[in-house]
Amino acid sequence: MRLDYPANIKIIRVPCTGKVDLMYLLSAIQKGADGVYVVGCLEGSCHYKEGNFKARQRVEQARALLEEVGLEGDRVRMYNLSSGEGPTFAAYAKEMTEHIKALGPNPLK
Amino acid sequence: MISPKLVEVGRHLNVNIITNSEIKSVEGEPGNFTVTLVNHPRYIDPVKCTGCGECAMHCPVTAVNSYNKGLDDRRATFIEYPQAVPLAFGIDTDTCIGCGLCENMCVAKAIRYDDTERESALTVGSIILAAGSQGYDPSKLDFLGYGKFANVVTSEEFERILSASGPYRGHLCRPLDREEPKKIAWLQCIGSRETNKCGNGYCSSVCCMYAVKEAMIAKEHAHGDLDCAIFNMDIRTFGKDYEKYYLRAKDKDGVRFIKSRVHTVVEIPETGDLTVRFVNEAGEILEETFSMVVLSVGLQVPETSKILAQQLGIELDKYSFVETDPFTPVSTSRKGVYTCGVFQGPKDIPGSITEASAAACAAGSDLAVARGTDTKVIEMPDQQDVTAETPRIGVFVCNCGINIGGVVNVPAVTEYAATLPFVAYTDQNLFTCSQDTQDKIKEKIIEHKLNRVVVASCSPKTHEQMFMETLEACGLNRYLFEMANIRNQNSWIHSKTPDIATQKAKDLVRMAVARSAMLKQLNEKVISVNKQALVIGGGVAGMNAALGLGKQGFQVALLEKDASLGGYSRMLHHTIEGGDIQKYLKDLIADVIAHDKIEVITGARVVDFSGYKGNFTTSVLVGPENKKRTIKHGIIIVATGAGEYTPKEYGFNQDPRVVTQVQLGDILEEKGAADLSSVVMIQCVGSRNEENENCSRICCQNAVKNALIIKKQNPEANVFVLYRDIRTYGLMEDFYKEARNLGVIFIRFEPENPPKVEPAAEGMMVTIKDHILQKNLEIRADLVTLSAGMVAEDTTELCGIMKFNRNPEGYFIEAHVKLRPVDMPGDGIFLCGTAHGPKLITEAIAQAQAAASRATTFLSKSEIKLSAITAQVDTEHCVKCLTCVRSCPFNVPVFNTEKQVIEIDEAICHGCGICAGVCPRQTIQLNYYEDDQILCKIDALLAGGM
Amino acid sequence: MGSDRGKTSGSVMVVGAGIAGMQASLDLANSDYYVHLVDKLPTVGGMMARLDKTFPTNDCAM
Repeated sequence: MRLDYPANIKIIRVPCTGKVDLMYLLSAIQKGADGVYVVGCLEGSCHYKEGNFKARQRVEQARALLEEVGLEGDRVRMYNLSSGEGPTFAAYAKEMTEHIKALGPNPLK
Repeated sequence: MISPKLVEVGRHLNVNIITNSEIKSVEGEPGNFTVTLVNHPRYIDPVKCTGCGECAMHCPVTAVNSYNKGLDDRRATFIEYPQAVPLAFGIDTDTCIGCGLCENMCVAKAIRYDDTERESALTVGSIILAAGSQGYDPSKLDFLGYGKFANVVTSEEFERILSASGPYRGHLCRPLDREEPKKIAWLQCIGSRETNKCGNGYCSSVCCMYAVKEAMIAKEHAHGDLDCAIFNMDIRTFGKDYEKYYLRAKDKDGVRFIKSRVHTVVEIPETGDLTVRFVNEAGEILEETFSMVVLSVGLQVPETSKILAQQLGIELDKYSFVETDPFTPVSTSRKGVYTCGVFQGPKDIPGSITEASAAACAAGSDLAVARGTDTKVIEMPDQQDVTAETPRIGVFVCNCGINIGGVVNVPAVTEYAATLPFVAYTDQNLFTCSQDTQDKIKEKIIEHKLNRVVVASCSPKTHEQMFMETLEACGLNRYLFEMANIRNQNSWIHSKTPDIATQKAKDLVRMAVARSAMLKQLNEKVISVNKQALVIGGGVAGMNAALGLGKQGFQVALLEKDASLGGYSRMLHHTIEGGDIQKYLKDLIADVIAHDKIEVITGARVVDFSGYKGNFTTSVLVGPENKKRTIKHGIIIVATGAGEYTPKEYGFNQDPRVVTQVQLGDILEEKGAADLSSVVMIQCVGSRNEENENCSRICCQNAVKNALIIKKQNPEANVFVLYRDIRTYGLMEDFYKEARNLGVIFIRFEPENPPKVEPAAEGMMVTIKDHILQKNLEIRADLVTLSAGMVAEDTTELCGIMKFNRNPEGYFIEAHVKLRPVDMPGDGIFLCGTAHGPKLITEAIAQAQAAASRATTFLSKSEIKLSAITAQVDTEHCVKCLTCVRSCPFNVPVFNTEKQVIEIDEAICHGCGICAGVCPRQTIQLNYYEDDQILCKIDALLAGGM
Repeated sequence: MGSDRGKTSGSVMVVGAGIAGMQASLDLANSDYYVHLVDKLPTVGGMMARLDKTFPTNDCAM
């Protein structure tokens, strides 16, 4: 579809968002990423039944931990969409970028 | 959902996809047909075309986009949709002006203006016709205003409107002004259940469900409160759990269901809104205005399929569906030629998939002696062990014609790649996926002793498998491969900012190289397959499944808990079409008993079970002596069946004049209808109520079948059918129509106002409120017949032993309702017949053959290669917190109490990595996605600054 | 193998590459038969590839 979205987004592929470890999210922020987000299938449509629910829990945990150490928990987010929704993917990429811009750079950088 | 199937057929070594082609003739006989094909020109060589899309980007000609049902445009050089298989463009010569731009732009030199129509020949043993259907074209029905009023669309068009890849990018809007509609009406049965104007007397079986779906999805897409109304004669949500879906739409989502056939649709010119004029049940003429009207068009056989049937010499019915027999649902009138899907008769996707597998079983059975004689096998060289070697990474950067190279500075990325750790070789290619580049990569792997390969090009989704095979072909383990997607994730989306795109390409390559250095070689474990099958249940479904496997040459143990075969079918006499069930059953039982590959074990009770796909062990106690037998088998087919519900309603079992449809069938068989003067049938007894929300699917046709027998034998007799919706789906609609023509009286009632049945002076008295007359009717009956629903056989004990999952109604749960209707969630376990859900004998036979086909995909192999991407536990550091045991959605990790360790069986692990994600000590790693192999990407990305 | 194997082909032709044709092809190919899957259109997928979501799960058809 060749939809435009910001170039600051780099994708890391996992077999299922259920594979996303808390450590990945925290490590990205610790090493200087301004934001991290997990994109999973629509809730109820996980190929592995509940991977995206686990991912959401992990995202919530990461957000809470960041808040605890005085960082904005909202640098970590979770989005859900189906594989046929290219335009939604691009829209979320833009939304996340705008949102992170508003938060400013990662203070750990 | 369909994408993985597209990819699988597209990549399958033993599926030869021949597009743009039609059948000219078929000569020969079953087992050895000679087919002549007409291959229409595509004008673009699909072998050379890489699907890059440069041609379409530069094509100056606008054409109507048929994929989006004409709601938007495409180019004359086109591909239908981004996931298309084969991923190759074509030229629509009806609109092409021959300007030559695409030929100039195509770096792959795939454009063939001089392509011509050709003929080719195939030799095949069996033929399956799955020619499908098209939506009915409602432009002939001028009272609906389709084609005249912009905001009247067909349901097929509405699907595209809702789709994210559709003409409006998934925004709910109407064609006239691209405004979001506030009110939408769906008109059902357009091109179905109507013989005067469209000639399609049958029910299309799918429209009620898709209209409900479209209304629900439209409501989700809408920004405000969207009002959805579905105008229908009957709501036919007869499939497994479909009634629950309908109730959800009605009661939770507020979709309105209006019992009416619409009279006219008129546009209000000022607003583009539409006034729908209709007659309600009380006979009043009403009007309501909507922003948009969706015509729920039926399925019909396209003209091209009628020609196909003619060329093959197979018989079609009066609606041009393939003529089949109720007991051989996928066989056509020509031997060796089979059919499935909507060409066989109207049906939904799970039904089509089930029948497709059934047709595969039938087609394969004829050719069992020649199995494997035409298939291709790729011989792979022995793999070298590179575990001890320092990584030597080769990086191949693709230009993808000008798709990447036209934006990204590919030479700069290639040079940059050479500076990265462990990179031993770099190169850039015009098309990395082309055959000559594959050969070049193989040469370079050997020449430079590369032990890791990175390809920076497009999506792993479409190309990873191919590159992995290239590695394997020169002895390198396929998992030592990584891709950087610098096209779809980069050049295509940042085409206006080449510098940024080049920088991002470097970042992506750096990440890929870092990961590639961390990759380990993985070996797929191979397990043997026991070629014996176990079928549980000796009814029509189980026997057909056993025969299907026996004909394919596999040994079958057929378990039946009763002393004799036959199951529920022993209670039935005729199908609605008139097929003699008892005769069929007698022949079937004789065939099964006589078959040398099938061992029938009656009086059998399963007492123990263990194992996994390919290697199961089941113990049974047999006969009155409870003799124990242990059977080793590779697959299981579950066909435990269902029976008729025993009503608690309407005084059943208290008054002999209240019977079930099955009992009425017996009466009619024994005594006929001569002494019956008035029969009242009550539908939905034990179905569609609080206890059992689902529809039992078979009862409407049962009532119509028995009503017809009565009316034909005794035209003087009065037959009343008290119903909620008549669900004579598919071709059975004709019998419903016949029943009405013969004077059977159908009276609808609401569940809140069910009929009352009381003993009377003579016979029984039934009281019901008539909607049309708006008053209570009293009907005297000699016999009240309850259309009792189906109830699943009690399989509690079996499920306790074999750990199969059932739904709350006791039917077994399939792996996927849509795409895997015959598979159970556990690999190597299949399901058929009424154990899956209520169904007709014809449908049970098809599903049984389908189960045999699905099972054959296992049994035809001596061994199965397991996925290498499975979870591994480091038992030394595991603290046995059991988080993985609790978190796995497939219950794979288990705690071995003897050894005191967590064990994950690779044979059943699905490879999702959820256990690895939840493990608090990181002692579980998912192969190919180990923590280090992901974290290094994060490190590599952020090391470059962001 | 029987004596009539000589004239029995190990290939099947499937006409129509919608979801039914694809399923039949995959079952046969995975059971060691060679399949020619013929369609009049340039692309496989048939009607299902033209749907948005599917009932009763509302999963994306594509």
